[in-house]
Amino acid sequence: MSPGVAVLEIQGLTRRFGGLTAVDGLDVTVNEGEIVSLVGPNGAGKTTVFNLISGVLRPTAGSVRLLGRELVGQPAHRITHHGIARTFQNIRVFPQLTVRENILLGTHHWTRSGVLGSVTFWPGTVRAERAAQAEVQTAIELFRERLEARLEDPAFTLSYANRRRTEIARALAARPKLLLLDEPAAGMNPYERIEMAGLIRSMRDRGLTIFLIEHHMPLVMEISDRVIVMDHGVKIAQGLPKEVHSNPRVVEAYLGRRAATA
Amino acid sequence: MSAQPTPKYSIETTHPLKRLWESGPGGWNHALTRPAVLIPFFVVAALVPLALQYVEDNSSWTGAQFWTLILANCAMYACLAVALNLVVGYAGLLNLGFIAFFGIGSYAYALVASDQLHQHYPVWAALLVVVAVTLAFALLVGVPALRLRGDYLAIVTLGFGLIMRDLILDLDRPPVLAGHQFGPDGLNLTGGTNGVHQVDPFNLPTSLPLIGPVPHFRMYYWIFIGFLALSIFCMLRWRNSRTGRAWVAIRDDELAARAMGVNTFKYRLLAFSMSAVMAGIVGMIDAAFIFNAFPGNFDVQQTVQIFIMVILGGLGSLPGAILGAIAFTVPPFLLQQFVFYKYLVISIVLIAVMVFRPEGLLGTVSIRPRQTMGGTLELLIAETAIEASELPAVTDAEVADLEASAGAIVEDPEWKQ
Repeated sequence: MSPGVAVLEIQGLTRRFGGLTAVDGLDVTVNEGEIVSLVGPNGAGKTTVFNLISGVLRPTAGSVRLLGRELVGQPAHRITHHGIARTFQNIRVFPQLTVRENILLGTHHWTRSGVLGSVTFWPGTVRAERAAQAEVQTAIELFRERLEARLEDPAFTLSYANRRRTEIARALAARPKLLLLDEPAAGMNPYERIEMAGLIRSMRDRGLTIFLIEHHMPLVMEISDRVIVMDHGVKIAQGLPKEVHSNPRVVEAYLGRRAATA
Repeated sequence: MSAQPTPKYSIETTHPLKRLWESGPGGWNHALTRPAVLIPFFVVAALVPLALQYVEDNSSWTGAQFWTLILANCAMYACLAVALNLVVGYAGLLNLGFIAFFGIGSYAYALVASDQLHQHYPVWAALLVVVAVTLAFALLVGVPALRLRGDYLAIVTLGFGLIMRDLILDLDRPPVLAGHQFGPDGLNLTGGTNGVHQVDPFNLPTSLPLIGPVPHFRMYYWIFIGFLALSIFCMLRWRNSRTGRAWVAIRDDELAARAMGVNTFKYRLLAFSMSAVMAGIVGMIDAAFIFNAFPGNFDVQQTVQIFIMVILGGLGSLPGAILGAIAFTVPPFLLQQFVFYKYLVISIVLIAVMVFRPEGLLGTVSIRPRQTMGGTLELLIAETAIEASELPAVTDAEVADLEASAGAIVEDPEWKQ
């Protein structure tokens, strides 16, 4: 695929909760090898967009296509299988599983092994397990010094930043075509945030397409190829980070009307 | 005085046992499930009756083989506790109808290996029948019920257990539905309150080379121990494979598991039916062991007892399940003169466990519902939060609530804090 091929195409995406329209006719395109950021004030519907893409919620209307394949109406686990992996705003690692097992869960959808296979040491099962274990090493490459020593520790013993890293490593082990990161730098200290920016860039350099939600504007401005701004479920601006930054509608959404006209 | 400067930081070599103690329940479990521990354990367990025959005949007040009988019972409950651990400990499904599958297994075997229906299948054919019948019942209940979460699932499975008991009691005559009688007049499937008697024992040699004659109790003790070893082997293999990781992941965080591509319904159903089949096979061995299948096999009390074993030992812990089974079968036999206080003691022990170690002796998962049972409580909070929220002033937290409710999803860490 040459750069510029649309990986994710969202058209007219709408989701209503009773009388509240959380996402209203959203159109987004994310191209191969891009880092696209979705920003907006609290309650703008950003996480809902991610939940609609990843199949956690069903859209009221609209379509989501991954490399031309329609995803709306498919269950969440099928969507992962088609090539979307995500992380969560409030980190969702499996607390009782070790870091290694957490990352192995990422390989779940592309390995095959059953109840009988694992008991009888069936060759196919053994091979699948070996491939999955090898993938763990690949997935933690970016976090080597941070996670390697903790691989056998249960995830609930990890620090906040390490849980984030584990969650991202788990998503990488799923070998996605598109990675959805929901506030990857939330709750991190400035140093860790810089590290996260470098990490997101190096994931892109490895050929991943990244769609992320982030609140921390300097980070967004630094790493994004394009920025999409949402407010009240509607896209109010999109473009290069610099263009969006000075857009009066964006300033208004963030700071109010007076700030925008002042 | 030339004081030797003590190094500021010294790496002290701690005693391995002390390190093991400090590694906590997770470490203890890991240590106890190594082959180097399990294999000697099962070898010793298998040899125990050979040693017991020298003491047994002296305990005349209950007759010979008293101890082997206790041990066989203990091994049977350990098998059931391990099977329950699969569905409750690994997959986090609160299956209160668990014991019904034990009963179904025992009746399925009794019907094809007794004079009740004049069938006397060989053991392997009977085993196939038992597996097929328990699997069929597990799917019958599991497919609709596993769409529910937490407490709701518990209620449905509890109902299933009670219905099965009534069904067994009533099937000593042909069932009548809407005026239509199914089957001939004299049809007596289950023997009603009497149960099915004179069930065939397995066709096994009564004496073995080198060991000599093998009494009935001891043979079945060995069968139970063998099945326990097999179950534990399977459970450990599963836990360290794709399947078992998916189960534990679903228990820990169903939404995240789904997002990683786990077909949660399929894996929940798999855990539910595998555990049912294991319980069914234990029921079959039990029917052959006591020559009987009786409605008491379906008692809710039995379910409670096995749950107590699993909870005492620790959810998800296999050594814990064995420990729980030993703790709740051996002492009641030994202290029969105090049987009056049995439930008092059990209650006190249970309350103490709840208060001091809600995760059980060897468990790592707390039995408190937020952690393990599908987060029904969070769901209710989320639903009421939606009703209360005014439409325009929507914050991220409320959107998260909405999402949680719409996806019928597990807990949100924010509520925990």
